[in-house]
Amino acid sequence: MIELPIIDSAAANEQTPRARYWRSVSQFENSTEFQRVSGEEFIPGASNAPEGATRRQFIQLMGASMAMAGLTACRKPIETIVPFSHMPEDRVEGIPVYYATSMPFRGALRPVLVESYDGRPRKIEGNPEHPDSLGTCSSFEQASILGMYDPDRLSVFNHKGATSDWGSFKSFAGQLAASSRIVVLAEESSSMTLAATRRRLEQKFASVKWIDYSGAAGNASTRGVNAAFGKSARAVHSFSNAKVIVSLDADFLGSVDSDSVVNARGYSASRNVDGTSDVSRLYVIESGYSITGGMADNRLRLKSSEIASFAASLGSGLGVYAGDTGVHSSHPWIGELVSDLQGAGSGAVVVVGDNQPAGVHALAAAMNAKLGAVGTTVRYLDAGDSAADFSAEMTAVIGEMTAGNVDVVITLGVNPVYDVPSFSDAYAKVTERIHVSLHQDETAQGATWSIPQTHFLEEWGDGRSQSGLKAIVQPLIAPLYEGAHSNLEVIALLATGAEQFGYDLVRETWRSELSGNFETAWRKVVHDGFYPSSGFSVLSASASAAGIESAMSNVSVSAHQGIEVVTRLDPKILDGRFANNVWLQELPDPTTKVVWDNIAQMSPKTAENLGLHYKLNGGKYITDIAKIEAGGVSVELPVWIQPGLAEDSIQVTTGYGRNILSDREIRSTNFFDRDDHTDVYGHGAVATGVGSSVAALSARIVTATITKSGSGYMVASTQDHGAIEEEGKIVQKRGLFRQATVEEYRANPKFVAGGEPKPIREDWADYPTLWEERHPANTDVITQSNYHDYQWGMVIDLNTCTGCSACVVACQSENNIQVVGKDEVSRGREMHWIRTDRYFVSGDGASYDSPQMVIQPLPCQHCENAPCEQVCPVAATVHSPDGTNQMIYNRCIGTRYCANNCPYKVRRFNFYNWTKTLPDTIHMAHNPNVTVRSRGVMEKCSFCIQRVRQVNKTANIESRPIEDGEVVTACQQVCPARAITFGNVADPNSAVSQMRTSDRRYELLAELNVKPRVSYLGRIRNPNPNLA
Amino acid sequence: MDKTLAHLADFHDEAPLVKGNLTFHDITEIVSSHTEKKTPLQWYGAFGLALSGLMLMIVMIAYLFWNGTGVWGLNNPVGWGFAIVNFVFWVGIGHAGTLISAILFLFRQQWRTAINRSAEAMTLFAVVCALVFPGIHVGRVWAAYWMLPIPNQMGMWPQFKSPLLWDVFAVSTYFTVSAAFWYVGLIPDLASLRDRATGLRRKVFGVLAMGWTGANRHWRNYEKAYLLLAALCTPLVLSVHSVVSFDFAVSIVPGWHTTIFPPYFVAGAIFSGFAMVITLMVVARKVYNVENIITIDHLEKMNIVILVTGSMVGFAYITEFFIAWYSGVQYEQYAFTNRMFGPYAWAYWTMMTCNLFFPQFFWIKKLRRSIPFMFAISIFVNVGMWFERFVITVVSLHRDYLPSAWDYYTPTWVDVLTFVGTFGLFFTLFLLFLRFLPMVAASEVKGVLPEADPHFYDHEGDGHGADHTLGVAKSKTAH
Repeated sequence: MIELPIIDSAAANEQTPRARYWRSVSQFENSTEFQRVSGEEFIPGASNAPEGATRRQFIQLMGASMAMAGLTACRKPIETIVPFSHMPEDRVEGIPVYYATSMPFRGALRPVLVESYDGRPRKIEGNPEHPDSLGTCSSFEQASILGMYDPDRLSVFNHKGATSDWGSFKSFAGQLAASSRIVVLAEESSSMTLAATRRRLEQKFASVKWIDYSGAAGNASTRGVNAAFGKSARAVHSFSNAKVIVSLDADFLGSVDSDSVVNARGYSASRNVDGTSDVSRLYVIESGYSITGGMADNRLRLKSSEIASFAASLGSGLGVYAGDTGVHSSHPWIGELVSDLQGAGSGAVVVVGDNQPAGVHALAAAMNAKLGAVGTTVRYLDAGDSAADFSAEMTAVIGEMTAGNVDVVITLGVNPVYDVPSFSDAYAKVTERIHVSLHQDETAQGATWSIPQTHFLEEWGDGRSQSGLKAIVQPLIAPLYEGAHSNLEVIALLATGAEQFGYDLVRETWRSELSGNFETAWRKVVHDGFYPSSGFSVLSASASAAGIESAMSNVSVSAHQGIEVVTRLDPKILDGRFANNVWLQELPDPTTKVVWDNIAQMSPKTAENLGLHYKLNGGKYITDIAKIEAGGVSVELPVWIQPGLAEDSIQVTTGYGRNILSDREIRSTNFFDRDDHTDVYGHGAVATGVGSSVAALSARIVTATITKSGSGYMVASTQDHGAIEEEGKIVQKRGLFRQATVEEYRANPKFVAGGEPKPIREDWADYPTLWEERHPANTDVITQSNYHDYQWGMVIDLNTCTGCSACVVACQSENNIQVVGKDEVSRGREMHWIRTDRYFVSGDGASYDSPQMVIQPLPCQHCENAPCEQVCPVAATVHSPDGTNQMIYNRCIGTRYCANNCPYKVRRFNFYNWTKTLPDTIHMAHNPNVTVRSRGVMEKCSFCIQRVRQVNKTANIESRPIEDGEVVTACQQVCPARAITFGNVADPNSAVSQMRTSDRRYELLAELNVKPRVSYLGRIRNPNPNLA
Repeated sequence: MDKTLAHLADFHDEAPLVKGNLTFHDITEIVSSHTEKKTPLQWYGAFGLALSGLMLMIVMIAYLFWNGTGVWGLNNPVGWGFAIVNFVFWVGIGHAGTLISAILFLFRQQWRTAINRSAEAMTLFAVVCALVFPGIHVGRVWAAYWMLPIPNQMGMWPQFKSPLLWDVFAVSTYFTVSAAFWYVGLIPDLASLRDRATGLRRKVFGVLAMGWTGANRHWRNYEKAYLLLAALCTPLVLSVHSVVSFDFAVSIVPGWHTTIFPPYFVAGAIFSGFAMVITLMVVARKVYNVENIITIDHLEKMNIVILVTGSMVGFAYITEFFIAWYSGVQYEQYAFTNRMFGPYAWAYWTMMTCNLFFPQFFWIKKLRRSIPFMFAISIFVNVGMWFERFVITVVSLHRDYLPSAWDYYTPTWVDVLTFVGTFGLFFTLFLLFLRFLPMVAASEVKGVLPEADPHFYDHEGDGHGADHTLGVAKSKTAH
């Protein structure tokens, strides 16, 4: 018990020497009884607590404890987390709380909103208030939650092979001599606090070389714009204003693009065929087949090495380039593109991909400036990005390291040993090699200090979004592993020698950023997830012809001889940093549908010329291995034949062939037990051994010789179990994907009806549904249910869906969908509830070599007349009163009859107990509102029924109807293109009902009379009629 | 050969159903002795092999239960594979016995008597093999009983619209009635065995024979019961495979959704059942030396049934194609084109060759009376009918409406060994039957002997009329 001084305690002991007056003997004798009775105003016990503290004492103590309780609110968040038995205020068990934060991604912050259940971050969404997100995000943000729970994360300090701790590292940091020559390779970061800490580091040590490590991505764009404008700037696009878009090898809609979310939304806005403005036209000139290429109105296959010539010719046509235009100077497209671009004026925009040399980026900047596009469709932002040539910088640093001129190398969240083959030897020559990383990765294995890094959901930080809006990264949870520290904290420790908490560092920086009452402003920024009107300033510079000339001077515009190999960032695992994420490994590649592998994509003719083949054996893609030799190094990759690629151009992606060490045990089981097969986490780190690395290829575009070095390699894909040529014809004939050109649409708005197959000679609509009068949907139990007022339905707009596959990962995260591994996918047992079907269409003129690619997302269609429901012998799949088709998992016995009878084949069966072997941390990523399915149970898309029911409950409690747009499915929520609309089809004013009145609406396989609740809007293309 | 009155009453000049001038006693001897003699070594050999097969099946099922349905080759579009193919295959085999016993009985086809017992046994055992699959093919085997309408506290009933549920009823009813029919038919023969036996064997057969004494009253009740059961079985023969076919016909999968399925499945079932009877009988009659009871004429008759039903099945195949074209439904058209020219064309052409082409050789009398030839054809038909179910089940599923969902089904070693194992189960049961029970319905065969004719001993009857006494007729010297 705390002893506090009591104010009147001294008065009780006061003695008086004066004459005494007394009123009774007992008073005179001052007996104990008298003292007891007279000392109080009232008789004993009437006013005081029987014993212990007095009322005053009590109130004093209470006051003090309240004050101290208040003090705890001021504690540093870094302190040991409070056990959850002390429930924070306003927390209701089972009701998730949302926090805004940001994910660092390729040098910018991606704004996100994280759902947290009982202190456990669970699901990531885009931040709906942030202009760079508006609530949507890409597959990377969606999957990053699993990255935090990754069981292969580096959990302990490692110093020269022995386990260590933060304390030892602190003493090491304190002893680091100020004369040390330091090289820092830091992941690209927009953090202001890190920049400030970097300056402190540079002040402390004699020599600090800090490299913004862009790795495989490179920074050609920044350098190109720098060449054109004489100032480094970041190109940010507003495709919503675009009328004519020319993409030169740019996959600006693909998830790897730093601004893919904004691009996709802008692009889809420009494709509004039912609005008043004209539909934009997208030209794509590329060597691979990207999803942007799939959206193209006119697409040209061209080797990446020759796109510079195409760009130069275009630049020459637009009058911004006077140099040699090379091999494509008289390409038939140039004239058309020039006139189309000029016609569009400020609505025109030229976009260039990361792979293209800086010169082409410079040309594009000049073209955009010339067209007047700057400010309308493209803005050049003063982002302060380094315009130094990253590869040149790395070469220089490696030279220094080899020469012994470097004492300390600090690698912050980057993996140069994997990315840069020549780094490894030089690295070993440096005495102190400090590596901060999420995994025991290739660099960590060669480091003297490997320090567990915090995931962005566990750390304080800050930075700027692609458009420059500043934001604070706040942690959702204490680091899962005790020793984990952020890059910021490690650098701060090295810079000051004393431990600094990320929270303090970030607040220190923001004191100068924020105006007014700091605490209020800080809380608002943390709460909102961004600091409004803090974007980058717009650069208004004019292009200098000389700069372009010089940038183009070392770019070849001649015809490329031989085979080119183009390395791109992988659309699923980027440069390998997401390689240990099973959701992304099992996400079908948006264009090839390949999972768990990297492949050498090539066109059918190229493969034929190179003598490389594949065969389908039992539905599996068995292929040759191609040996790619360039510049004295070689990599070997399985061959994948992809229609629509440029001839003699081979596409490969980064990030595979990782070697991460994991301290988890390899699962070994008895011979009769298949748990070792079904456990995707059972073979060491997930990324280890998946695919092969292409890092050895020295540049992003190289000329290579290709030979066959093996055969019989199995590539797993979720589609293409055969019949790729046949597929296109069948899609056409069955009217699965319906599209028209703008002219056709204007002439015949109901064109989708023309695609309706005629299943029988008569009009099928005349035939009534079997048991129509006694249909279960008309029974009292359904129609009198409270849920019956809302009839859920979905419309998917094929005109804007790019096929980026963010919905697939969002659904996986929301609905606890399990991952099955490469072998099981090759057996056709993937579990995704929504799939993005990819078809090639060879229309008139288009051939097998150059087909159009279309994407169709396919969730459960929630048929009103569902064939699955009628065949289940145990009534485990039934219709809900609100018109959705639901699986009752604990009733299902797994006959699979429903899956057989599903014409869309959207049902997924648990062939094994996928959850039995999951590591504990992975269980933490599960949604508590969705049943985790056991072995032998069928599952499928539920229209996110848990979200529907949550809104049902809320609306019921508040005694109000559900508002339109209140229920949002996971796929709809994430979709950057806003291609998915969901809502109550019983309400004619709801958004989904409005969409259903569209002329472009059709139902897939409507002629089966299954009455799907999901409908599609036909795609409208806007090709240039003068180009075939 | 002289004729009995019974023969004279026939329209056709038929050969006698039993050859070798056997008497009642001969028949009893031939049939019973096999269950009474010392077990031959060959039987142990065969039984050992069959039992290994059964063990194999049990091990495969244990492996399946331990790990899950994933050990089979199923995938997303192909939710049903070997398990359902085998189920339909075995149910089909199980058609011949009851058809022979019940329908041919009602049609007074007396040649059935030689083969009906073993055919019925085959039926039962085949249905046992078939019943293995519905239970084990579900994902959660421990909950498979939910398909049965068992009252429960949740008031939760099966979904009566599902053909799978109809299947449960159809096949279990079929099994129950077939078993009852078989057992009733066995009673007189069990009594014969009892009468010839001593000790424990006598007691066991005594219980099984249910006190049969051969009294007139017993015979009357027996005949009535047998007739009633035959009448009960007859619709079941038609219904069970019709219901099995509903599993497919009621669905909307192109290649499954076909109204021709019920008769086509029944014909196919009879076809395959008879082929299996031929396969078994050709061997058994030789090994058990009952060639005089199961004569070449019997086999020829069965071959004619095979020819007829095989042609019906072939006709159904062609009809399906015609309807696919005539309907104008492109999904249907694709499904059938895909059967012929798709990745499973080999399965389709195996089916066509075995089921439609080979049985046509039975138009030639010489061939349908040739033991080795009919044995070979019967094997082909068995193979062909298995492939028919494979083609229907797997080939229809692997490519249906949306090309994006197409895949290919490859069975795993577990699939194959489980199927092999069911033959072990079948032959284990069949060998036990041959060893312990009368493989020929002796009492019924006796009924078709010339001696059974009440006028056999009349003048002008075949038994030399008044010249003979009963005693002479009983002697083994007759004819």
